[in-house]
Amino acid sequence: MLGLWPLQGHRGRPTGPLVRLAYTFNDMSKPHKPAKVPAAGSPTPPRPELVRAERLRVGYGTKPVCGEIAFTLREAEAIALVGPNGAGKSTVLKTVVGQLGAISGKTHIRGQEADDRRLDFRREVAMVFDDDAFFPALTVEEHLAIVAAGHGSTAVEALIDAELDFFGLSEERAALPHNLSSGQRRRMLLAAAFVRPRSLLVLDEPEQRLDTGMRARLAARLRDQVDGGLGLLLVTHDPAFLSAVATRAIFVDDEVKKMTPAQAALAISSENPHAH
Amino acid sequence: MTVAPQSPEASGPPPPPVSAPAALSAKEIRRYTFKVGLARSEGGIGELISEIYTYVFGAVVLVVMSGAIIVGLRHSLGLGSEPVWTASALAPGFASLEPLQASATLMLTLAAALLSVQMNIGPIAMTVPQTFWWLGLPVRRRGFIEPGFFRSMIWPVAGSVAVVVPLSLGIGADNAPGPVALATLCGAALALLLYGIAGWVQITGGERWLRPLASAVTVVAPLSLVATALFNNAENTRVNMSWLQYLPTSWPLLVAAGQLWPLLVTGLALVVLAVVYANLERLSSASLKSSAVASAYVAGSVLSMDASELSRSLSNGARSGHSWIRLPLVFHQGSLTRRSVLTMLSAHLTMQLRQPSTLVRVAVLAAIPASLASVQFLGNATLIAVVLYFCAHFAVTGLGSVARFAAGNPSVDALMPLPAKTIRRVHFVLPAAGMTVWAILCFVLLFVLGVGSWPLIILAVLAGPGLGGATLRAAFRPTPDWNMPAVATAMGPVPTGAIRSFLIGPDLTLITLLPVLICLISGGVPPLAFPIQLALTLIAYAWGTRVRKPKKKGDGGIFGMPAVPAAR
Repeated sequence: MLGLWPLQGHRGRPTGPLVRLAYTFNDMSKPHKPAKVPAAGSPTPPRPELVRAERLRVGYGTKPVCGEIAFTLREAEAIALVGPNGAGKSTVLKTVVGQLGAISGKTHIRGQEADDRRLDFRREVAMVFDDDAFFPALTVEEHLAIVAAGHGSTAVEALIDAELDFFGLSEERAALPHNLSSGQRRRMLLAAAFVRPRSLLVLDEPEQRLDTGMRARLAARLRDQVDGGLGLLLVTHDPAFLSAVATRAIFVDDEVKKMTPAQAALAISSENPHAH
Repeated sequence: MTVAPQSPEASGPPPPPVSAPAALSAKEIRRYTFKVGLARSEGGIGELISEIYTYVFGAVVLVVMSGAIIVGLRHSLGLGSEPVWTASALAPGFASLEPLQASATLMLTLAAALLSVQMNIGPIAMTVPQTFWWLGLPVRRRGFIEPGFFRSMIWPVAGSVAVVVPLSLGIGADNAPGPVALATLCGAALALLLYGIAGWVQITGGERWLRPLASAVTVVAPLSLVATALFNNAENTRVNMSWLQYLPTSWPLLVAAGQLWPLLVTGLALVVLAVVYANLERLSSASLKSSAVASAYVAGSVLSMDASELSRSLSNGARSGHSWIRLPLVFHQGSLTRRSVLTMLSAHLTMQLRQPSTLVRVAVLAAIPASLASVQFLGNATLIAVVLYFCAHFAVTGLGSVARFAAGNPSVDALMPLPAKTIRRVHFVLPAAGMTVWAILCFVLLFVLGVGSWPLIILAVLAGPGLGGATLRAAFRPTPDWNMPAVATAMGPVPTGAIRSFLIGPDLTLITLLPVLICLISGGVPPLAFPIQLALTLIAYAWGTRVRKPKKKGDGGIFGMPAVPAAR
């Protein structure tokens, strides 16, 4: 993994703060701690609340782009926002995580107002929206290293290796962003969300620019992680992805409707999404 | 805390635990990013120089030749032996404005422009990738934001020094270094105060009225010079504008004149900056991202010397998304070609009219040479000519927005059932007409203020369509090659291919305007100037409307000869 660390020290051993961090945390002996599963027969306690959106009106200026929305997302839940283009799904997503101001209503994450100026917010919430930007002179793995090490992730190198492998970027690990295809850049952004700790994952159309196989593997992995306790809030137009991942769905338009994933999948498959 | 278990069919590695402590500081991450970036730079400073060498050399040759022509013309016209760079271009008896009023107006304009620009680009800015990859990290953001906060101070301070020093030397009674230094200090403090105010607005997100006010002052203030000069000469009076010097923006001028109390602004600036510095971490990600995008837009506009894009990037850009301007786009009379041409023209006019602020800026640019001429000691023909050239180029790019859109979205033009050459000629029509009107406005204003003559106005009218060609050349110039080697600079790697793009565009404006500028500086218009101007306008038209053919495989020969086959 020496290629990850461009500043080589004595005897070829890499140096620098990120390298120190990598070597400090490069201890794979720690067992992964699984989520606690309640004993069979005992009453299931309510899972901790991650996101609470109350009477939320979103838009630009004072003009709302969709109907009023309210929902609660708990750990081990995945809510999919679906709806036609321009209905305001991404705006809802950005407002929920505090990237946009709400016209009215409130959003709380872990009981506190959504505000990414707080350290604990940034520690818990990972987001991948549809925009991207890259340091032109940093390779794929160096981008990921910034995220992993910046979050104090353990075993930085191993984490990056595993994510590059999962997202099919192992051969592009030393590539600069402008040498990547659009789909590869998308994979890199998604990988960045996985090399860091997170309780809540917010994804805006994660299926975008991904091939069918990658979509299926990503969906399966997200479902695994949701089962393990992750909270997932996503926007998607892909019925298969939605069915595989979501535990609940919200149809966003002038009128906001709560749906089952099956209903939502049918709605976005249909030519007339208002039919349901 | 949530930790996902690894299920038997797990399709990926498990997530790291949320509670892991952040091990790196913002400063360490920042340094790492920069070191890696600089380590990968491939080019050298020599490549930058070789990029600009041809253009700089060509410009120097052009200036020397023009100078020789001007001197020769002045001798042949019998305009005396006074050097052209000191000769006044004003008509005898013209009552110029006092330098103090001009300086105060200039300071007010620049202060308003500075505040407006600072508020629109942040002023505390990071780059877009930095906001994207750094702001989500759970480390104290101060380490990321502070460098941008301090670095962004350089520009207002440098700008204030560049403006206040020459003004102080002009205003001060004895040009002593002491008052000039104090005035410069006052100017820098004033610039930093405005920077601090803009920073506070960025942090709090309030004071929305300040932005349109600053933009309005930027447009109105320079026009007030021309209006006052015209009024003074028409009414044979002198409007008292001495109150202008007591505006806070004029305080550096008062210091240059010997007063010390305006230096209080230094303390005020320090207080405001301290408050902003203490609140840096209150900046939201959304604010930092939007200022990063705005700064990138500004940098791109500066690099392309595109005044229209630059103005748009520096203005607030808030639009309602609706326009009351509706022109017919469907025509039923005449041939298919005629109808298509009319549709294109109507669409271009609609797009242009829906940017009223651009049109206002173009009109203001036509008045700037006249406002220079209206001020005492500044009515110098060489100075006016230089400023006129830059104003013309910025107006050219201002009227090139439609063509630029077409260059960026070629599929729109491809929808029209017209040959590429015809489409390019249709693109020529509006900029040519617009620049002809601009030239008339500019030179008539100068003429009213006593600069130039009717033949010079006619010469400018002949140059107008040529400037339309320059508009197309600037709009349809080839995009920079971002794959060329990057050069390591303090600001990060700079691709050398971008330099070429920076230098293409103003050239045809200069070539087209050359006879007009030479005659303006010389003080007379010889008959030979008209055919020369007409020829240059035709050349500019041909150059501007030329459609580049894509290179074919096997091309590469010179002077029409076939390419040399590759050696075995």
